[in-house]
Amino acid sequence: MSPSTSLTIFLRTRIRHNAFCNTYKRSVHTSILNSPFIQRATSPTTGTNTQIYISKSRNPYINLSIEHYLLQNTHADSTILFLYIDRPCVVIGRNQNPWVEVNLRYLEREHPQPDLVRRRSGGGAVFHDEGNVNYSVICPTAKFDRDIHAEMVVRALKSLGVERVRVNERHDIVMDPDEKDGGPVRKISGSAYKLTRLRSMHHGTCLISSYLHDIGGSLRSAAKPYITARGVDSVPSPIRNVGSMSTDEFMGAVVDEFQEMYGEDTKPFCVEEQEGKHPVIKKGTDELKSEEWIYGQTPQFTFDITRTNTTHNPVHSFSTTFTARNTKITDFTFTLTGLNIPPELSQTITSSILASPAPFYTINWTDHLLSHASNTQELDPISNMKRVNENQKFPSAKE
Amino acid sequence: MASIARSLRPCASRLIVRPSQPYRALPFAARAFSASRAAQVKRYSKDHEWVEMSADNKTAMIGISEYAASALGDVVYVELPTVPMEVAAGDSIGAVESVKSASDIISPITCKVTAVNSLLEEKPGSINQGPEDDSAAGGWVAKVVVPEAGVKDFEELMDAEKYKEFTEE
Repeated sequence: MSPSTSLTIFLRTRIRHNAFCNTYKRSVHTSILNSPFIQRATSPTTGTNTQIYISKSRNPYINLSIEHYLLQNTHADSTILFLYIDRPCVVIGRNQNPWVEVNLRYLEREHPQPDLVRRRSGGGAVFHDEGNVNYSVICPTAKFDRDIHAEMVVRALKSLGVERVRVNERHDIVMDPDEKDGGPVRKISGSAYKLTRLRSMHHGTCLISSYLHDIGGSLRSAAKPYITARGVDSVPSPIRNVGSMSTDEFMGAVVDEFQEMYGEDTKPFCVEEQEGKHPVIKKGTDELKSEEWIYGQTPQFTFDITRTNTTHNPVHSFSTTFTARNTKITDFTFTLTGLNIPPELSQTITSSILASPAPFYTINWTDHLLSHASNTQELDPISNMKRVNENQKFPSAKE
Repeated sequence: MASIARSLRPCASRLIVRPSQPYRALPFAARAFSASRAAQVKRYSKDHEWVEMSADNKTAMIGISEYAASALGDVVYVELPTVPMEVAAGDSIGAVESVKSASDIISPITCKVTAVNSLLEEKPGSINQGPEDDSAAGGWVAKVVVPEAGVKDFEELMDAEKYKEFTEE
């Protein structure tokens, strides 16, 4: 059976699920390797040059992995629209530093805890939740343009009655203030790109009805002032929701505009979460979820902190700096001075950290410090943390 | 220009080994040197990378082409490979970020990366200023050791003229 014949059969057995998203009836035995989605996405026929997919998954890692699969496996001449909504998560750009861009403590405290995601495309950090729609257009690199699909989204918004929206010089979609109310120009959508020789992807967010308080909270890092980082900094902008529509209405309008641009009247195809079990997509998801990618991919940075406690006499002071590169600590200094602190302690701790074979983001700093502190009487600055100290996680250089 | 270069050789030969035109002149210039003197040949891939092979076919330098650098726009970060790294032709040896876009740097040949241009980490803009510059201040990406298979890959790449036609298509 040729792919095109099989496709016609599937088209006939299509059932309507909601206003714009169709899904295919299929037996539970359908192999995940050759599901209708995989067949369609990898179809070599030119009859499928325009394809529209809507993900039913809310998992940001699976959605990014499906998107990457579409970038790498769809026909070189095809143009693909992929729409998805993620559960709450913070997504940083490929070459960003999570400790600079994200308030990791804030994420830990939230319930349910938002995911931290590093995407494969460039650009800055964004927050996703169910009020935010992600659109992604994959097209031949020869036709790549940074604004053309942001303009498409602007037209979609205008078709729903949203006024004063435009693409700015940073390729973001912004909303100009109401003449009466004034206020700043506010961003509603940001873009990022991944380019390969034959295929290029432009993906963007669109804030329809997100919980904006979470965005501010999760993207303000307390560690930022102490870090000097290589890589890409986010450019913070005032943001707002589009409001006045549901995410479904917005997706429907984007689909309409996409079809308007690319002619073919192809119905959107619903991508089920279980497509994430396809070995290639699963591999991509696993990569995106790995600590090595999320934290270890961080460009080189230096952390530098000095603390002085003047209530003691003599004065207690503590300072540490480290440089992390390719998952390893390359430079580390540690000085702790004060009453009853043996002068060699700083050196012991320094050697212990530098000898640690583990990736820097897995080092338990507290354990490290306490393992040495336990040998010291009345180690003031950290004496209140002395209690936990039985299991020394990493051997020190001197042992 | 080529004739001037020849009249200056061999003392000025180092000065003329720069992007733009010098590589076409080199095969001729090389005859004036002793056999051990390295003369490079440069070829381009469809992924817009260049490879400059040493005369003994043992080592090479890799970078991105002028065309790619100008198409990408201002480079803000260059992700370099860890050294040493063995790769096959078509494997990624790093990535470039420019204007929110990430693009992989693809090795056009099978090779082992032995050194990287760490200047690009501190000054990513160097790749815009001289993407085909193989000097210490240039925008080259990696130095590699080339096995037999890599030499074969190299021979299949485009020369400057063919590459120019390719980019104008």
